Amino acid sequence: MTAMTARIKDSLYPVTFALGFLLLWELAVRLLSVPMYLLPAPTQVVSAIDGSLWSHTLVTLGESLTGFILANILGLATAVIFVHSKPIEKGMFPLAIALKTTPLVALAPLLVVWMGTGYTSKVIASMLICFFPILVNSVKGLKAIEYEAWELFSTYKGTKSEIFWKLRLPTSLPYIFSALKISTSLAIVGAIVGEFVGANKGLGYVVLVSSYHMDTPVMFSAIIASALCGLLLFWCIGLLEKKVIFWTRSEDL
Amino acid sequence: MTTAMKEQMDSASVQNPGTRETMLSLRNCSLSFGNVPVLDKVSLDVYRNEFISILGPSGCGKSTTLRLMLRLLSPEAGGEVAYSSPDLSLGMVFQKPVLMPWLSALQNVMLPLELGEKKFSKGEARDKAESALRLVGLQDYLNHFPHQLSGGMQQRAAIARALAADPTVLLMDEPFGALDELTREKLNFELLRLWESPETSLSSIVMVTHSIHESALLSDRVVMMSPRPAGVTDIIPVALPSPREAGMEELPEFHRTVKELRKRVKHL
Ligand SMILES: Nc1ncnc2c1ncn2[C@@H]1O[C@H](COP(=O)(O)OP(=O)(O)O)[C@@H](O)[C@H]1O
Ligand SMILES: [Mg+2]
Repeated sequence: MTAMTARIKDSLYPVTFALGFLLLWELAVRLLSVPMYLLPAPTQVVSAIDGSLWSHTLVTLGESLTGFILANILGLATAVIFVHSKPIEKGMFPLAIALKTTPLVALAPLLVVWMGTGYTSKVIASMLICFFPILVNSVKGLKAIEYEAWELFSTYKGTKSEIFWKLRLPTSLPYIFSALKISTSLAIVGAIVGEFVGANKGLGYVVLVSSYHMDTPVMFSAIIASALCGLLLFWCIGLLEKKVIFWTRSEDL
Repeated sequence: MTTAMKEQMDSASVQNPGTRETMLSLRNCSLSFGNVPVLDKVSLDVYRNEFISILGPSGCGKSTTLRLMLRLLSPEAGGEVAYSSPDLSLGMVFQKPVLMPWLSALQNVMLPLELGEKKFSKGEARDKAESALRLVGLQDYLNHFPHQLSGGMQQRAAIARALAADPTVLLMDEPFGALDELTREKLNFELLRLWESPETSLSSIVMVTHSIHESALLSDRVVMMSPRPAGVTDIIPVALPSPREAGMEELPEFHRTVKELRKRVKHL
């Protein structure tokens, strides 16, 4: 009970500050009569929201979520292969780094050329940007087993697959989750970059089109929606992490 | 091994120490890591029903010696690690508890029973794990996770895990090194009680320690190792009566042994 009220109290601080900030913003825009195309007031942003924003949000969320999930499955699988084969790791890791250092923004037009302006090019963009964190963290996590734990498994004749499922994978979970949390916002970035280059729906498309029309309130609403998408994904992963990794309390974000 | 057999062996070895049965022996074992020689022709027999302590400066190769015994490492050519029988069952307790944080105490103790060629059904493993935890006094903490247990309790769980697999020879690498003095003292005597208990199949214990006091109090023989490259420099028998009990630190023989060990440590 007291923990509950404490938590409510804790969440009161950011809520109060956010409300205060919005109020200041509104007042500043009105009192200084800032033109709407430069900075719309919060109320103007709210009145620009309609049903289409919701459907564009769902599109972007769908693209990023698909990219996020596929990249993480693929990245984890690659990490498993790396951990079990030194030659493959040595041969492919530089490629993975090359992929990481190539700016996604530079690749996005190519993706659209290859895969068209639809769903797929955005999913791939999102995957490309999410792939590296999970790969690196999983490799690190899968190798992070205690030497003595490995000896324990060896003493009792544990097989390679037992060492993987009962030791390596659980050991790597905290590393995997920290990659997942990093990727939540990256996944949205990937989808939006993809939408910038060529799309007819999604939040990136909304931002782009509204900028052509100087429709700043709509632009703001799309920017805020994309931020909220990232926040939502991050929060879901955080919740899942607390359930799965019950044995450590991670304080870092 | 049945209890009757164990008792028989006990009396046999007491009456006839000259022909004691060897459980495990290291013969002429040398080992280097890269070009750093660590062990130099180590030979050591571990007899049935004895408690051996290995004493030596840190970094001299005590843990490495235990790893040889476990066959996690192999000696260089010319050396040999021999077991009394091919299916000699060894247990290992590390300096750290090495518990899986995602498993409960019970699941941790069941873990070795469920590895490799499965000798036990889930139910059997559970029963064995429960009784091992009961032996170390953790029967009320079966479903606790390692982070909910104190350091002493974690090390007890690690001992239970080693015991659950019914080892004949138990190897321990500074098992209580990380614990406070009081807990350590308590666990030392618990260990002796477990060793003597007919409920365990335990016949021999080899314990690495850096405490002269502990080695004199617990063991039948103290093996002294020299600094790297280490060999066995001395094996000192401890003539304290068994079973060992609290209060034996007062006996003149205890002081004699401690003094003797101190002297040899200085010479290393
Ligand atoms: N896996 C390893 N690789 C390289 N050197 C090692 C390894 N394990 C131990 N050593 C070295 O061998 C020596 C003996 O180590 P160890 O047996 O752990 O000593 P002790 O247990 O007596 O403190 C130390 O100098 C240590 O640095
Ligand atoms: Mg050691």
